[in-house]
Amino acid sequence: MIALRHSLMEPTNLEHSGKGKHVQRNAVSKRKWKKGVKGWLAALPFVLPGLILVGLFVLYPMLFTIRISLSNYRIVQGQIDFVGLKNYINILTDASGRFWYAYRNNFLYALVTVPLILFGGMVFAYLINNLKRGRTMFKVGFYLPVITSWVIVSLVFTYMFNNSDRGLINYILVDKLHILNDYVPWLLREWSGNAAIWLMGAWKNIGWAMLIFLAALQSIPRDLYEAADLDGAGIWGKFRHITIACLKPTAYYVLVNMIIGSFNVFIQVMLLTEGNPNGRTSVLQYLLYDKAFGQFQFGEASAIGLISAVTIVILTTLLNRMLKLDTVEKGGADA
Amino acid sequence: MTFKKWTALLIAMMMVVGTLAACSSAPAEATAAAEPEATQEVVASEPEATAEPFTLVFWHTYGDGEEEQFKNVVLPMWNELHPEITIEAVRQDGGQYHEMIVTSFGTGQSPDVARIDIVNTAAYASQGGLVALSDYEDFAALKDTFLEGPLSTNLYQGGYYGLPLDTNCKAAVINTAIMKDLGIEGAPATMEEFIAAAETRGTYSLNVSGVGDWDLYPYFWLFGGSLTDEGFTKASGYLDGADSVAAIQTMLDLHAKKVFTIRDVDGSVDAWDGINSEYAMFFEGPWFFGSYEERLSQGIIAATIPTYNGRSASVVGGENIAVFATSKHTDAAYEFAKFMTSEAVQLAMLEKGQLPVLKSLVNNETVLNNPVWSVYMAQLESASARIPSPNNEQIKQVWSDAMTEIFVNGADVQTTLTAAAQQMDGLLG
Repeated sequence: MIALRHSLMEPTNLEHSGKGKHVQRNAVSKRKWKKGVKGWLAALPFVLPGLILVGLFVLYPMLFTIRISLSNYRIVQGQIDFVGLKNYINILTDASGRFWYAYRNNFLYALVTVPLILFGGMVFAYLINNLKRGRTMFKVGFYLPVITSWVIVSLVFTYMFNNSDRGLINYILVDKLHILNDYVPWLLREWSGNAAIWLMGAWKNIGWAMLIFLAALQSIPRDLYEAADLDGAGIWGKFRHITIACLKPTAYYVLVNMIIGSFNVFIQVMLLTEGNPNGRTSVLQYLLYDKAFGQFQFGEASAIGLISAVTIVILTTLLNRMLKLDTVEKGGADA
Repeated sequence: MTFKKWTALLIAMMMVVGTLAACSSAPAEATAAAEPEATQEVVASEPEATAEPFTLVFWHTYGDGEEEQFKNVVLPMWNELHPEITIEAVRQDGGQYHEMIVTSFGTGQSPDVARIDIVNTAAYASQGGLVALSDYEDFAALKDTFLEGPLSTNLYQGGYYGLPLDTNCKAAVINTAIMKDLGIEGAPATMEEFIAAAETRGTYSLNVSGVGDWDLYPYFWLFGGSLTDEGFTKASGYLDGADSVAAIQTMLDLHAKKVFTIRDVDGSVDAWDGINSEYAMFFEGPWFFGSYEERLSQGIIAATIPTYNGRSASVVGGENIAVFATSKHTDAAYEFAKFMTSEAVQLAMLEKGQLPVLKSLVNNETVLNNPVWSVYMAQLESASARIPSPNNEQIKQVWSDAMTEIFVNGADVQTTLTAAAQQMDGLLG
């Protein structure tokens, strides 16, 4: 009896000892691991194709780009010679300062066009939403630039900003209004060239923002306005405390998208100014293109690509933190 | 595992295998591209031994007229000579042609032979994309048949990586009515004469589009400037030499006196438009005279660029024909390149305005009897090629940056050219 009792007591003693704890923990973790593997095996058929595709078309090119950015790459032979940070140093210390102008111009593009698109889109959406008739006509009108080809729009802008009396702006300012004495080569000057690029970007994207805001406006419950009416709120009060408040999550969505989009500006620069004069209207994507295709500097082009990618990641993270997007989304959902 | 899970796994595996199979073909082709030198050596040492028919892919950017002539006249000539070699002529978009070639280098899908812009030849060669044609035994003799200017555009590190195919340069386009107002009958013989007459006019008489190399080199060279030494190895002492500074200063003076305008700087009317009513002269390629009779009826004629200090100058344009290193038939491609530069083909293409590159055709009757071609062929004698360098794009950028600084921002000529020369030195090495 004593022996039996003793043997029954043994496990209890073991439980209290370190070895016992270890065995138990092992058993638990083994069970967890088995469960995990089982879960993975069940999920694998569904995620594997996606993982492989992401690996092939996203991760591999990304890693390859990092490798090229640290190498001298001869495209025909596929010869990749490691050169360390030389490509980065070259672009950052280039005597013409082309990289820094391009980098600056990306930020300037964001600073100028994003507020224009954001507020323009919001105001036009508000006005269209309050129209009794002709909503569709205005919606189509504002959205047309979005679906119009960049090339066609660029041709129109090139004509408008043409450098002689053949350009609309010169014709109006010099020949009609006599504000200027001489024709100005708008697209070949640093600030007027940049202004044309900004204007085109804003004009082309404002319709997209308008449509997003319009959708958001239409989702604001009517009873909020009715309640405000009962409380005696005026038009401005309703706009400020209901409309603006409810549009916040949408505004942040448009803001983040537009800022990221500002670092992908390319077509308008290529078609309007080609970065002239002396790279003063260039942007990172155009510089990358010029380095790769014009100069066969694939290493430097990759370095530019990575710098812009890192910039976008930093900006997105900062925006997420500064705007507290998670909170906003919850707030939006509540609203 | 249940039946559903097994099915899902099977489908996933099939997708993976499919994806990998689709991707695996590219590296196989890329391997061929990765060892062009080895291929080149083998093919070069062992000419096509078999008479089995094969196809050569030829990329070009001919226009409608030239393409028609190539297909209907030139290709039958080739087929008669080499019935076993089919030429698959692919017309590419001229606007993105360079990008197409660069992409083809990366994907290993380059053509066997292609008509390429002269300014890109050295750059393609530096990437290992082209076969050094000067390695062929008969090249030494062949080389002497070409005009010096167009031939030099194929030079890279002592080797020739293409053959000149067609050429052009800039010559003077003259509005005879305005010249008459200036007191000059027809084309001015010297720039000194033209400048003296145009100075009193008070409005621009001479126009150039921009500050790029193709635009300003003819003026720079005409007024005595030089870019580099003869071997294209050094810019310091040449681009920033006293003669070059004086050449730019002459252009600045003419600009200040309202004789000479740069469209992109002044916002003046484009030359093609302004030559009809405002400008007395500008320099342009032969394509301006699409219909010479029509131009002549407007009082616009072609003439060689007036001399300055007793000599004329111009810039060489045109295309080369090059054999790509990834070709499996480099010997046959070289044969086709030679065929395209033969007298018969050059004369056939001349009918569509492609100026010949052979010394033997400079005084050909067809050339001499044509009022435009004869002018351009004569101008070629004083035309120089742009620097044949793999860094051509960067050199071009250094030049236009310097000219923008001088003509737009009023920078000091000597200081700017010295800085530009130093930058060019780094790119020429």
